[in-house]
Amino acid sequence: MKTQRIEIKNKTADRRLEKWAEEARGHLGVALQDLEGVKVYKIVANDTLPDVFSDPVLQDIYHAATDYGFSEVPSYVVDVSFRPGVTDNPARAAEEALALAGCTATVASGDLYFLFGNVDAEGARKIALELLANDLIQKADVYAYADFMALDRFGDVHLPTVQIVTPAQAGVQKQGSMNSRNDVSEISLDLSDADLEDMSRTRLLALSLNEILHIKSYFKQQGRNPTDVELEILAQSWSEHCKHKIFAADIDYTGPGGEKKKISSLYKTYIKKATRDIEKQRGIDWLVSVFSDNAGIVRFDDKLDVCIKVETHNTPSALDPYGGALTGILGVNRDILGAGMGARPVANMDVFCFAPPDMPDKDEAQYMPQGVKPPRRILEGVHKGVEDGGNKSGIPTVNGAFFFDRDYAGKPLVFVGTVGVLPPVLPDGRKSAEKTPSTGDRVYMVGGAIGADGIHGATFSSIELDESSPATAVQIGDPLTQKRVTDFLMEARDLGLYSAITDNGAGGLSSSVGEMATMTNGAEIDLALCPVKYPGLKPWELMISESQERMTLAVPPQHKAAFEKLARQRGVVATDIGVFKDDGLLTVLYDGAQVAEMPLDFIHDSLPPLQLQAEWAGGRSRAAWSATSKINPRTQPVPEKVTDALLALLQTPNITSKEKWVRAYDHEVQAATHMKPFTGVENDGPSDAGVIWLKPHAGGDKTGVAIGCGMAPRLSPVDPYLMAQYAVDEAVRNVVAAGGDPDMLCLLDNFCWPDPVVSAKNPDGAYKMGQLVRTCEGLYDICTVYGAPLVSGKDSMKNDFRGKDKRGEKIDISILPTLLMTAMAKTTVGIAPGSAFKQAGDVIYLVGGAGAGLVGSEYAALFQKPSPSGRGLGEGAYCAPDIDMPANMTLYRNLHAAMRNGLLQSIHDVSEGGMLVALAESCIGGRLGAQINVDGDHAFFFNEAAGRFVVSVLPENAEVFEKVMGEVKLGTVADSSKLVVSGESVALNELVQVWKMGF
Amino acid sequence: MTQPKFLILSGDGINCERETARAVELAGGSAEIVHVNDLIDAPEKLKIADGLTIPGGFSFGDELGSGQILALKIRHKLGDAFFDMVRAQKPVIGICNGFQVLMKMGLLPYPEGDERVAALAANESGAFIDRWVGLDVNTDSVCKWTEGLNTLRLPIRHGEGRVVFSDDSVYETLKNNGQIPLTYTEDVNGSHGRIAGLTDPTGMVLGLMPHPEAFVHRGTDAAPQRDIAEKGDGILLFENIIRVMRGHEKTPSPAKVGEGEARVAGG
Repeated sequence: MKTQRIEIKNKTADRRLEKWAEEARGHLGVALQDLEGVKVYKIVANDTLPDVFSDPVLQDIYHAATDYGFSEVPSYVVDVSFRPGVTDNPARAAEEALALAGCTATVASGDLYFLFGNVDAEGARKIALELLANDLIQKADVYAYADFMALDRFGDVHLPTVQIVTPAQAGVQKQGSMNSRNDVSEISLDLSDADLEDMSRTRLLALSLNEILHIKSYFKQQGRNPTDVELEILAQSWSEHCKHKIFAADIDYTGPGGEKKKISSLYKTYIKKATRDIEKQRGIDWLVSVFSDNAGIVRFDDKLDVCIKVETHNTPSALDPYGGALTGILGVNRDILGAGMGARPVANMDVFCFAPPDMPDKDEAQYMPQGVKPPRRILEGVHKGVEDGGNKSGIPTVNGAFFFDRDYAGKPLVFVGTVGVLPPVLPDGRKSAEKTPSTGDRVYMVGGAIGADGIHGATFSSIELDESSPATAVQIGDPLTQKRVTDFLMEARDLGLYSAITDNGAGGLSSSVGEMATMTNGAEIDLALCPVKYPGLKPWELMISESQERMTLAVPPQHKAAFEKLARQRGVVATDIGVFKDDGLLTVLYDGAQVAEMPLDFIHDSLPPLQLQAEWAGGRSRAAWSATSKINPRTQPVPEKVTDALLALLQTPNITSKEKWVRAYDHEVQAATHMKPFTGVENDGPSDAGVIWLKPHAGGDKTGVAIGCGMAPRLSPVDPYLMAQYAVDEAVRNVVAAGGDPDMLCLLDNFCWPDPVVSAKNPDGAYKMGQLVRTCEGLYDICTVYGAPLVSGKDSMKNDFRGKDKRGEKIDISILPTLLMTAMAKTTVGIAPGSAFKQAGDVIYLVGGAGAGLVGSEYAALFQKPSPSGRGLGEGAYCAPDIDMPANMTLYRNLHAAMRNGLLQSIHDVSEGGMLVALAESCIGGRLGAQINVDGDHAFFFNEAAGRFVVSVLPENAEVFEKVMGEVKLGTVADSSKLVVSGESVALNELVQVWKMGF
Repeated sequence: MTQPKFLILSGDGINCERETARAVELAGGSAEIVHVNDLIDAPEKLKIADGLTIPGGFSFGDELGSGQILALKIRHKLGDAFFDMVRAQKPVIGICNGFQVLMKMGLLPYPEGDERVAALAANESGAFIDRWVGLDVNTDSVCKWTEGLNTLRLPIRHGEGRVVFSDDSVYETLKNNGQIPLTYTEDVNGSHGRIAGLTDPTGMVLGLMPHPEAFVHRGTDAAPQRDIAEKGDGILLFENIIRVMRGHEKTPSPAKVGEGEARVAGG
């Protein structure tokens, strides 16, 4: 065995490093002149090393120390390597490459960064930790250049090895044991309540005292103590993340007029009920599978079913933005792979809620939360994660949004969604939506091996963040492994080789096997059979690890051989770990010895609902992070001129073009994206939604699905009822603008909430719960009027940061209660004209009325501080108007008919920034000016009332259009290269330039 | 050869095999998607097939450089079976990641050369980009895939698409040889001479960064169109090569004459 090191340097400059250097000079304030990078591989191999690592045209490869031909002497060197056990994709790929060339090797990868300029040790460390490495998953060693060159780095080479130490186990566990079989502990629950709570905290179980007492009484009846495996299974299964206890709780609600009601499960009362009521009222028959699977499945086409799921990955993205977002997108892809008998992912979408990208400024830096990455880092990391997750998997990212607000500084929200397709009937005649495992079917784990990464993800995301969050909750995804798994599963499905499938997500095997077991009423697995990344994992760790890229399947015994053979041929690891049974039990063995056995009904159905308090008596002002935190409100004086207000709005992060970010996503792989994120003559005007054409996926000739989203979190402190409805309406508007049929439209709800359970540390819990109740009421009401069923959803309930700021002062940051609504509608491909104006002379209309109110708008956020009290404030023009739901539905149907008849030249939804921003965006897309003949005050031009669009129509169709729609004529499209409004004029060029500035 | 048969490589992170197969079929060919591991087990498939496509994607996650590991795999595991196909002057197209594979294998620009003289480097911006581009077709090129075409409009979707040469003379030689069939109408990634695609000296092997398979219908045009079923520019490359292949057919068997001629005339 020979251990060696090679270093590879690109011959040409790396633009990415140049950008980082710029940033170091900027917000880090370090005098870094330049940054150079070198890739490192450390290799243990028997044979001579074939050169698989470099391209001689592009790179130089080094086997010994060198000065790399630098023209200047670097000041510092940062040596970045992965911490032991962290997924190292370049290394795994290098091992495969070496194997292809006949060399068996173990590889670790890393990066060297050379810092040039007048940088001191502290500056170098700052750059290392804030720009180049993430301390949770990487090790960053900082050397003065001379010290670095004095190292014998090519002679003395060490690869990282995993040494398992789990803090939660320290003291409980026998020391030094590497044999997992002996590593099962009995846990005595014969402790005081305070000690039980303490145990829940130190073991990261996130179980409440009531829940532990429930466990205690069960095991007392059984006359034994639980094992650690059993306790962990229950903690995962009962985590807020997996069990959605808050949406299932019994609630005592006090409404605005003091009226009281009891709500038994928000989920059953509002969400599920909305869909069931709509199904009954409308008699719709296109809901194939809702609420019971990993994703909702609907039928918009005879030949092809469509399924959709949206998830959040907030906590992992806060700790490691890149890895968190990457595993988020790969995770929601697996939900689609695990929907029905397995669907093929055909589109991704992503919505980010972050603190403003220019935050913190110099004065604010001290008030930012400790242990959370700066907003810009989170933005870049999450973006790169979504980019790699989608692009490398060959799934187009077709829709999304960025929303910025300071209260996401403690916890960013990362919503990731995927649409999948599956044939209604599989080749062997089985319905694709139904999983049909039988007793005796084998339990297979397919995909990656198990490591310590991702232990306690489910429970950890069920508690709030603080400055000391555990690294095991952080992982890096491996898109290649998952792509291989996807290809394999699609083949295996069509060959009829398995009878059921689900993804291995939160809670790991504990959740996937635990849930699948309910289909046959029992399962038994042996954890010793599971492939592992390294030895030393204890049984409970194997059971709950969320190591990525894994699916759990039921394989009938007669297909075992064929299933395993196909897996081998596709380079996928598939392991038989047990059997489905019908004894009502979940049984877990380790190497034949039982380590857990519990009835499924105890695991799934025994937990009594939470009892929660909720109240809503009107809005409250948003809380400051602490009494002394001073966050720059980023507001400006109200400008006199309408066009000045417009130009300022076009530059805000919420409105400005995101083109630079979005073009890094492949939005047309699979060759079925009909409506892409950008449109217009220069392909840079914004689209309202994404449209996937189903024909290339073997669907109908003209069938498409439009996917759009909406949210209005700034209304949450004012009126959550209205917030929910604005979110729904925006999502619906977006897909209607993209040609979606409002009568063939389904919705997904994703709630991200601050902790709504009242407690000593969370005194306003009942208020936040009240906001949740109001939101659900608003959601139910609008869904039932629109006849739009909810087909899937998810909630994430503890989005708070309770820790310290950079000064060491205690701070609490709760996110704005955020409801993301995603709409998916059937569309006829080819009817939507896009958002860009098409030609001079076309008549411009504002459809849906003039609107009113500025509360919660981008205008109010930019120009004046909205008064903090409730909805009643700002009577008249300042009040956010209710939604006339029946009128909107009529309008959407009429617009859809108008599109089918080819009446519209353009259509753009009015949302952030109001009517004039929408109109300016249509000008930008079409590179055309406009003459606006209707005047009004700022509230008229910039209100964000729901249910409205800016459309343009050929002059010869104007009469017909007005007769049908009876809408307000705003003016005409002009080729004058300027927008004329309110007696003012602004050049088209200026609109384009300002809007495209980005961030 | 009324319906030339193309193998469409898949697996190990290749993403675009399905739409590439569709493009071949719509252009009148037949397409068989074959996993690279299955092809390694049955390399004779390459002998039977009339052409090969290496579709786009992220083979091996782009680790060690895009296309690098798939190129190694083909070289080490398919070896002669693959090179024989190229020597037999059967058409081969590498799209995006497929182009990167052909470059890393050294098949482009000179299959017989010993030394690597060209590569696809990271875009000048350092970022992946998805956008539509205009392409000029070099009418003097020896490339059979682009014969008779003038301009094309296609999407690019890549992070490593900048053509670089070991020295400038390579560019001049390729230009003189007619091996640069496709150039961007504007600078999109810093590529030398705005090169979007390269062909080998026979004109049968084409590597290109833009995605012709993504624009076979106007339904997937850059901006929404109403005439969704109409042909997009991408299909032209596939129709072209199939026409060339039919022309190569020396003496069609009598049973096929009528159909073959009708198709050629119509296509």
